[in-house]
Order: sequence, then structure tokens, then C-alpha cells
Amino acid sequence: MSTAMNFGSKSFKPRPPDKGAFPLDHFGECSAFKERFMECLRHSGYESGACRQRAMAYLECRMERQLMANEPLEKLGFKDLIDEKSEAKPEKL
Amino acid sequence: MGLCGRAWARCGGPRLPGGPGVLWALALGRAFPRPCRTGGWETPGTARYGLWAAAAAGGGVPAPRGVRGLRSSNPFTRRQEEEWRRRNRSALAYIAAAAVGMVGMSYAAVPLYRLYCQATGLGGTTGAGHSSEQIESMEPVRDRVIRVTFNADVHSSIQWNFKPQQSEIYVVPGETALAFYKAKNPTDKPIIGISTYNVIPFEAGQYFNKIQCFCFEEQRLNPQEEVDMPVFFYIDPEFAEDPKMAKVDLITLSYTFFEAKEGQKLALPGYQ
Repeated sequence: MSTAMNFGSKSFKPRPPDKGAFPLDHFGECSAFKERFMECLRHSGYESGACRQRAMAYLECRMERQLMANEPLEKLGFKDLIDEKSEAKPEKL
Repeated sequence: MGLCGRAWARCGGPRLPGGPGVLWALALGRAFPRPCRTGGWETPGTARYGLWAAAAAGGGVPAPRGVRGLRSSNPFTRRQEEEWRRRNRSALAYIAAAAVGMVGMSYAAVPLYRLYCQATGLGGTTGAGHSSEQIESMEPVRDRVIRVTFNADVHSSIQWNFKPQQSEIYVVPGETALAFYKAKNPTDKPIIGISTYNVIPFEAGQYFNKIQCFCFEEQRLNPQEEVDMPVFFYIDPEFAEDPKMAKVDLITLSYTFFEAKEGQKLALPGYQ
């Protein structure tokens, strides 16, 4: 992408990820969560919005096993799911 | 004045004090005056010295004549000449100051332009606005569905099998999404890889924010090991408001793995 001498056009500038890199899951500790997420994606026609609950579960699995920095899930964009959960709990009770 | 006129209008050059001589005339850098041909030499005894000698006779003009000296002997024109010289010097000073100012501005332009780009987001650079508060407060834009396709490449020298686990997903701007790649090391020795990514179209790259992924850091795979590599990203809600992105509904995310040398430290891209 940077080989041609086209100074006028925009080029792509890769940016580092906000929270760095995921450590590799060498022992497959969260593979079950990943499989459930992928299954959900296949069933929903690869719509990301439909499988956010399972995506959240996968990230929670990673955080529990020290494969991801602990971060409140609201900061990862799951605020609406957390609110739903907290609303569902008093209702159950 | 009278003397002035006489000194110049006649042939044979100006009448100089201090005697005749070619060397004297040459020292002053004067052009050759018109030779005298009016029926013989003007003054007696100049034939021996030639043209320049004609300058011998006549009243000397007591004007100082150096290389930087004033050309005129007349006090009025001398003042004017001084005035011209003073103006020339001040003009030269202004021009020199302008030249130095230009050089200074060209050095200052680099950080200033960088600040300007970060403030306005011109040219695909990103501002400092990708913080967790923004992720927390952003609202998904439900009416723009974008198809994100995934591509995986390896460099020819690395023997990993690297592929995405889903060929595409449909996301909306403002909502975080998770995607997986899979990498396997089929050889029987550990291989360290490092990856970079690319987003097509290029202009959409500034709206594509990765919260966490597996790029730009060395990843080590043991022999016969297979791992899942997640990418957690979102598309900035401002994507929906950019008129240049109005026709964009397909974004391709492409990762490429290269082999990394042991202990090599790569600098992260971006301004640091």
C-alpha cells in the first residue's frame, strides 16, 4: 500500500488496539464459550447484534482466567446488557 | 560642479590628483575613458604615458574614491546617494529577516500540522478521542448495517495455518462486536508470529477501532498447537454522519501474519 508513489491519495495507517493484545488462550479454557458464540452467529445469519450476550460471556470467561485485563463490562460497550440483567434480577426476586 | 563636468566630459578620463599613471587608474577600477584624438595631445608630456596621462593636468577633484565610496562629489547628490544606500540596506535587512522567517516556519510546520490533523481528523489520522468513556456512552446507529468481511493472510516464510472463523458479520456503528480467527502451527517446532492488519476502504479505517485484538505483539505457537484469536472491535458512530462514507456498506478487515525473530521488539505504529 505504500509502494506506489501516490502522495496525494490517502493511505491506510494502522493503529494499535486500545487495550493492547489478547494473550493467547493456549489451553483452550474459553473454547466452549467461543463455540457457543460461533453457533449463535451461524444461526442468526452472522448478525453481531444478536449474539452480544454470548460475546459478553466469552469476555467474562477470559477475564476470570486472567486472559484479559479486568474491565467493567459497561466500558466494553455492554451497558445495555448489564442494565437488562440488573432489571431482570429484581423482577425474578 | 564645473570641475565635475570638466572632469568627465573631456577625453582622456578624469583628472586625477596624485599624478598620472596607468596603475593609479587601474587601482580605481575605472573604465577606459575615451581616447583623445583632437589634433594631438591635450597636455604636453602626456604622449609618453598614453591615454591615462591626459588626466594629469587640470584641477584635482578632491573627492574620496574608494571601492565603497560615493560616486559623486556633489554634496546634494551625495546625500541622495547616502539615502539610497540606507534604504538599500534596510531593504536587505527586511529581505534577510523574511528569508530566516520562512526557514523557521518550515521547521515549525511539522508539529503544527500534526496538531491540526489531530484536531480535525484530516487525512485519516485519529484524534485522542478513543477512550473507554466514549465506548460506554456511544449509541448504536441502527439504520446503518455494515457487512464486515474477514480476510487472513500469512507471509510465505511463516508456516502457520491462519484463517478466519467466520467469513462475514453484520454490525452497526456504535456497537461492539467480536470475531474470531484461528491459527494452527502444523510444524514440530515453535514459531513466533506477529501480525498487522488492514482495513479496506482506507477511509473507513479511521472509524474502525479495535478495542483488543492480537496484532502488533509476538504470538508464540507451540508445535501442533491451535488457538482461537479474537478481535473485539467497534465502528465509530460518526461513521454514519460522514458524507464520504454514505455509500460504504462493506468493510474488509485483513490480517497478515509474519514470522518474528526471537527477542525482536517492534515499535507500535502511530504517533508516540
